[in-house]
Amino acid sequence: MEIVTLGGKQIEIDEDGFIQDPDAWDNAVAADLAKTEGVDDLTDDHWKIVNYLREYYLEFSMAPMIRKLCKQTGYSLKEIYDLFPSGPAKGACKVAGLPKPTGCV
Amino acid sequence: MTEGKTRNERKITARDMARRDLKVLDPIGPDELFPLPPPYDKAEEQPGWKELSEKAKANAVCTLDGIATTKLPSPRTPEEEKKYVDQFLEGLKKLLSRENNWEFLQPLTLSLEYCVGCQTCADACHVFMATDRRKEIYRPTYRSDVFRKLVKKYVKPGGQLLAPFTGADVELNWDTITRLYELAYRCHLCRRCAQTCPMGVDNGLIAHEIRKLFSQELGWAPRELHEKGTVLQLEVGSSTGMNPMVLKDNVEFIDEDMQDVTGFSADSPFDKEGAELLLIHNAGEILAWPENPGAFAIILNAAGMDWTLSSHEVGYDGVNYGLFYDDVQLARVAMTHVQIAKKLGVKKIVMGECGHQHKAMMAVADRILGSDAIPRESALTLLEEIVFSGKIEFDPSKNDFPVTLHDPCNIVRNLGIVEPQRRILRYLCPQYREMTPHGVHNYCCGGGSGFAVMSPFNFTDWRINVGSRVKFKQILDAFADQPGPEVKKYLCAPCSNCKGQLRDLLQYYGALERSGITYGGLVELIVNAMVDIKEPFIHWEIR
Repeated sequence: MEIVTLGGKQIEIDEDGFIQDPDAWDNAVAADLAKTEGVDDLTDDHWKIVNYLREYYLEFSMAPMIRKLCKQTGYSLKEIYDLFPSGPAKGACKVAGLPKPTGCV
Repeated sequence: MTEGKTRNERKITARDMARRDLKVLDPIGPDELFPLPPPYDKAEEQPGWKELSEKAKANAVCTLDGIATTKLPSPRTPEEEKKYVDQFLEGLKKLLSRENNWEFLQPLTLSLEYCVGCQTCADACHVFMATDRRKEIYRPTYRSDVFRKLVKKYVKPGGQLLAPFTGADVELNWDTITRLYELAYRCHLCRRCAQTCPMGVDNGLIAHEIRKLFSQELGWAPRELHEKGTVLQLEVGSSTGMNPMVLKDNVEFIDEDMQDVTGFSADSPFDKEGAELLLIHNAGEILAWPENPGAFAIILNAAGMDWTLSSHEVGYDGVNYGLFYDDVQLARVAMTHVQIAKKLGVKKIVMGECGHQHKAMMAVADRILGSDAIPRESALTLLEEIVFSGKIEFDPSKNDFPVTLHDPCNIVRNLGIVEPQRRILRYLCPQYREMTPHGVHNYCCGGGSGFAVMSPFNFTDWRINVGSRVKFKQILDAFADQPGPEVKKYLCAPCSNCKGQLRDLLQYYGALERSGITYGGLVELIVNAMVDIKEPFIHWEIR
């Protein structure tokens, strides 16, 4: 594991750049994580997705189904890819401070 | 220290694995790969390969080819290094002993002893082909040769003394074992080499046995396969982290969603005792490709089948990553699947569209289950029966777009299920065409043996550019009559692992936008051809 500075804090990330301690996450951390994903400014559209992922994760301890994410937030998968170039699992979940999704997803 | 050799230097041989003067034995990069057909032939238009940060390099062991799959320990002293080397040696001896490796000792021994070095396998390996057959370390016999020499020198009686005469010239040190570990993860275990070998040597098995040695003796395995794979599956119920409550919530969502789209019942029964069949999906389908389990439900209900899903932990996730690296973990998962089926009193287990699930449950599990066996069937044969039963009305003109089929290695080459899926496609898809070669002679998607779920460090660059190169060319060639994006095409891949890899591949090259290619399973095409569905089931969007 590697320790990096995100949002002014020293935070541990894994081999894929996902933070290890979801509790260390805050808006400033998200903004810095977004930069590692090539997103320099988090717009309201980004936040809507990030917040949904965050809330779902806090309730269910995992990322939601991609189709559920699209349906609940109203963004198509293409729009999510436009916002987070690595896509919902490797991009949006990373910015939202979730661990990397596991299994064949 | 130097960065590695250039191509014109002397050919790399097995003994170079031990070289400590090379930081990287034989670096791989985009300029060593055969060119792809247009419009993917311009290097400057391709995404570049990821540069690892110095910190990441310190964490990863990139000494083989500059690529890393796993965070390995960083020993600080020669004594610490020796500890790992000794563990490796212990494991090597166990692999070659009957009491520790009764399942695979015979094929392993035969593969070690019977290779005549004819190199027929080198013409069969898609990884070696990706480098225009230039990169020695990817030659299928290279890994086996290193392993064979280590066995000769360190396991056979008097091996070290006789080494100068037996040609066993590979030294065992920290660099040898870490390079060998990584090299075991440059093979997809697709076993195309074994299929072509005139002597019956299985180089894929040797790669598998090396992985097993490292997992069982040193605790080294890719995190996605072990800690976040089989361990998570056995603890929580699924390698996706999905517990039974989340599962039911998700399936209910899929059922409603699919019913809205098609107008057909997509209700999925749970834990129905005495049902004819227990369908076990790869749980990744539920999260990432819900149309697949949704389409299964629609087809099984429309055909009036007596079926059920399980909501018992592990019973709703057919994955068995143990197949790729560790027989013990494989046995634990397989036994749990069988126990759940027996407790429900179902007549048989049906494997969803997941290749390695098929192989683990329908072939390897036979060695473990013995008299505990329960009938197991592939979804492909069941679907064939349903499609041709006349119970569902089809209109093949709804699938009037170019379709080609990717053969998942574990279902087709390794189990021999070749025709059922083809009979369905020939009937339901007027523009169905084969890849060249296909069937049991197919090429791996590039995600085989668990690679599709692995993306640490810079490994994604390798698995897309090298692992999938031959497959991508095959896909483009299959659609070469109508290459433009205006013609919408469908790449059918009835396997979750393959789909994950093909998604990443098509996404990486922008093949949906540039060539009009989308991908998906078999059941989606079946539902798309049903006469009474409300709207088309397949869409050419990012998936």
